[in-house]
Amino acid sequence: MSTALDRQIRPIYDALDTQSNKSAVLACNKVLKKQPNNVLVKALKALALVRLQKVEESLLLADEVLAKKPTDDGVLTAMMHVLRGLGRHSDIVAMFETAYKQHPQNEDLGTQTFFANVRVGNWKAAQQVATKMHKQFQDDRYLYWSIFSAVLQANDMATPEALRPVLLKLALRLISSGNTPSYFNPDRFYVHLLILRELEMYDDAATLLNHEIGQKICETSLVCDEIRRDIMKLKGACKQEGEQAKVKILEKKDRNWLEFLSLLDATFWDIASTSEPASEDVKAAVTEEIAKTRKVFSEAATVDGLKDRSGLLALLELEKRTKSHGLWTDACEIRMMAENYFSQFGDKACCYEDLLPYLAFEGEELEQWTSFLNSRKSFDTPDTLQRSINVYKLLRYNLTSAELTPELELARAQEYIKVYLDGLKFGVNLPDTELQPADDFAILVGHAYVSLWKLTGEESHLQSAAATLEYASARSKQSYRIRLLLIRIYHLLGAPALALDHYRLMNVKQVQTDTLSHLILSRAAMWSLAPLGDITYMSECMEASQIYMSNSTETAEFIARAFSTERYSQIIDFIEFEDRLDNSLQRDLMKVEHVRMRVAHEPLNAELVDMELIELKFIFDRIHHDNRDFEVIPNYQPRCQPSFNEQTLPLKPPGAGWLSAYLKVYIRAFQELPLRERLVKKRQEEIDDLSEDEKLFYEYTLALSEWVGPYHDYVRPPPSALLAEAAKSNDLKPGHPLKSMAAAANGSATNGHSKKDEEPPAVKESPELIPKFFDDMKSRFDAVISGTALPSELLHIVATTQEAYLLFALETVRFKPNSIIKQYKFGQLAQSFKDLRVKASSILNEMSTVLAKLGEEVATPDGRKAFVQASSSIQDSSGFDHDFVLGVAKKTTDARKQTYEGIAKGLAKVVKNHS
Amino acid sequence: MFKFNNINLDIWTETYGISFYLTYLSRWPDLCCVQEAPNGHMMGYVIGKAEGHGQDWHGHVTALTVAPEYRRLSLARKMMSLLEMVSDETYKGFFVDLYVRCTNSVAISMYEGLGYSVYRRVREYYGSLGLGRASKDEEDAFDMRKPLSRDPHRRSVRANGREFVVSAHDVS
Repeated sequence: MSTALDRQIRPIYDALDTQSNKSAVLACNKVLKKQPNNVLVKALKALALVRLQKVEESLLLADEVLAKKPTDDGVLTAMMHVLRGLGRHSDIVAMFETAYKQHPQNEDLGTQTFFANVRVGNWKAAQQVATKMHKQFQDDRYLYWSIFSAVLQANDMATPEALRPVLLKLALRLISSGNTPSYFNPDRFYVHLLILRELEMYDDAATLLNHEIGQKICETSLVCDEIRRDIMKLKGACKQEGEQAKVKILEKKDRNWLEFLSLLDATFWDIASTSEPASEDVKAAVTEEIAKTRKVFSEAATVDGLKDRSGLLALLELEKRTKSHGLWTDACEIRMMAENYFSQFGDKACCYEDLLPYLAFEGEELEQWTSFLNSRKSFDTPDTLQRSINVYKLLRYNLTSAELTPELELARAQEYIKVYLDGLKFGVNLPDTELQPADDFAILVGHAYVSLWKLTGEESHLQSAAATLEYASARSKQSYRIRLLLIRIYHLLGAPALALDHYRLMNVKQVQTDTLSHLILSRAAMWSLAPLGDITYMSECMEASQIYMSNSTETAEFIARAFSTERYSQIIDFIEFEDRLDNSLQRDLMKVEHVRMRVAHEPLNAELVDMELIELKFIFDRIHHDNRDFEVIPNYQPRCQPSFNEQTLPLKPPGAGWLSAYLKVYIRAFQELPLRERLVKKRQEEIDDLSEDEKLFYEYTLALSEWVGPYHDYVRPPPSALLAEAAKSNDLKPGHPLKSMAAAANGSATNGHSKKDEEPPAVKESPELIPKFFDDMKSRFDAVISGTALPSELLHIVATTQEAYLLFALETVRFKPNSIIKQYKFGQLAQSFKDLRVKASSILNEMSTVLAKLGEEVATPDGRKAFVQASSSIQDSSGFDHDFVLGVAKKTTDARKQTYEGIAKGLAKVVKNHS
Repeated sequence: MFKFNNINLDIWTETYGISFYLTYLSRWPDLCCVQEAPNGHMMGYVIGKAEGHGQDWHGHVTALTVAPEYRRLSLARKMMSLLEMVSDETYKGFFVDLYVRCTNSVAISMYEGLGYSVYRRVREYYGSLGLGRASKDEEDAFDMRKPLSRDPHRRSVRANGREFVVSAHDVS
């Protein structure tokens, strides 16, 4: 580049670097005036434009640049960013391929072509490029690129079964053709082992592994060691592994739990490896092995003392497996081991979770265990406090149904409160960044009250739980576990705003939004005040969805980078990570929630329908991964009860079936083309995932689209026109619809009614199911109002009815204009629609009035008093401040009032907008 | 990353973007390690890197964290010794270093127990925790180091590091 030109171009780069995209465009225009054919400047301008969201202009420029078949490094780099911004990933590949073909000697172009293929997961082409590069440049690194691309192609779901072994054998052949052996570095060694494992060539793998260098690599590389374990297991060399593990545990003091598992597996190998019943001889031999292993573990436990808990845990696991294989063991053995463990590690927080798998005691064993625990309560020091927490949790775990009466649970709740308040003294001087040592007692209080609510159905217990947990949360501001419980309880109490506050204080971000946003966004449409213009939950959906954007822009790049640093061991994980986020169930559940709220929030016009339809169809065929984290919610409920998570879900959590049902509902409603069979078909999996009210709703939507469908088919413009439109729209990147396109779609939907040859379909009466649905919902509503159901149930019914109304509006909006009614002689049909609309409107209005009244009632001094009285149990026992409880009562009842009133007004508005 | 909520919801552990974790995993996977409990829950993790030139080539501890329920079990000690071993044997570094808030006395005494000593104090290295106690100590960091086998004469450490103050701009 000449210096003069460099001087002109520098400012463009500077502007782009500082995100001053507008000035970058201006700077580009200045140069282009003098040199209208400067490809680099065109590319840079396209980049600035795409960043400014000026997609159309950028598209045109990009095509111009591509037509010139650029090979210059600067142009290619700029274009890579442009095309990525436009979502035209396959064009990036084509661009680099063209450039590389023109300059086959250019190593950098080869590398870029390879990476471009890697980013889009085009392993076959990647492999070919790498092979070519290896021939050309004779670098083993390219050989391994080609080998690993072949492995990835074999792993790819799209590769035919028969081709997979062929690819792996090719990869294996390539390894032996390298200049250096695979143990040149751990990651190449890993690739070699991986291929041998996939080809089931375990003996060859073992030879490599037993080699001195192989052993050395496995000592420092965790990934190689992991695959080594795997291969040995597959090879059936469990006993050999067990022997090695024994040496490691005893001599090298290795405390990797996997070593303990190896030894355990080896101990039971003779019984566990066959399906046939074991002979007496085998049993005797295994029993002997068990004794030996017990000695090893005991020795480890003695040596370690308090330093490591592996030895004692392994002893427990040994006894458990002995019992499960039906081998003789002293009935009290497991309990003695558990007591032994408790005596050593009872004052550690991990004790409860560690012991849990071994504690399903019955009868006399349970009695002994319980009395052992009861003798271990004491509250003198922070350490004994932690031990007492474990005692209480462990006792609770083994409670039987007979012991779970309301009276006994109430007594327990009060005892937990007492020890909690006593325990606070150990945390008085802690800075507010620390957790209170007594926190878990408050969490137990929450559990006991939720259990009481489940036993009695009385809402007051949830209020007591909320009051206690709020108290604890104020004293231990960083305890996310307390907040998790509160989020669930506030939803049940119809105070979603308070749940949202706690969620926000947990500072959930980045990838956590995928695993945790379900806490507030599961069926969020039922809490949303979207009809009133409140977009809180819609923006939460958008924010939580950011991670999927960064996944699709960032992760592929790191797969390429892992190739460039030859970290093959990471690549498979990265690909899986990308896939799990890309096809995350929570992602698409949020998408559907967003659509449900949007329909209530915005006018039902063609723009909304077209855009959402494209996106919903796009996700319809995905195979989803459920990454939601429910495990993080504490659970200390007795083992005979469902977990705290299960108990406090307002409704069954939506799963893949729920998603599929709702996708169908909305795709059908938005659909412009004749319904395809699979959209109409119900699947059992879907039905199972729906709540009772949602099942009614699902039937209703099916009946509705079946009824209205034929009229749509008749009125709509010829499918060919629409198909062409749809094909055009599909080329665009989802999420960036062009305004002109939406307008075009709009135009074709209303302007295209050329008179058809056939007669209009005979107008049929509305199916009975449709009016009946609204009646059913009304009686459900009335029943819940007069009963003791929770606010969350009431709101679910209301939201479902409102959604049904909106879908009705959506499906009939086409037949509203008088011109259509006249042209197609749909007078009678219009009358049916009108009758139904009037009926549904009056039901919604009624619900609205009742809800508004309920909202009024709840937030009065009387309502608060009722709350405080309901929580009297926590005040009696502890001297919990009356004013504090009143404060929580006020917050909760105000939040509920806000929700009730908001939803009531929303209902009225929805009716008004669509009548 | 789908399983680390029990650790990362704690205030002392920062959750970063995808590129942060993938950068470390794609370059120094052997300096990153997760410890799991027998029930599959994550107990803690360490993320590290190798950096520096010449005599300064060293292992660096970027993040070390243990979930609240698995504390006081010497897990951090074990992860540190793994990281030191890999820094020493695989990367042949001269020392391992790490930064820690000057207020985090629990961590500092643990690192001292592991053979680390303060090399220098870095001004305003951390952001404030935003809890209204704006003290200098909260934002300043100690750079702590421990020599490895390639530095038998302990050239990478000094005795009076606490008085040796640099500004955050002078360190990478």
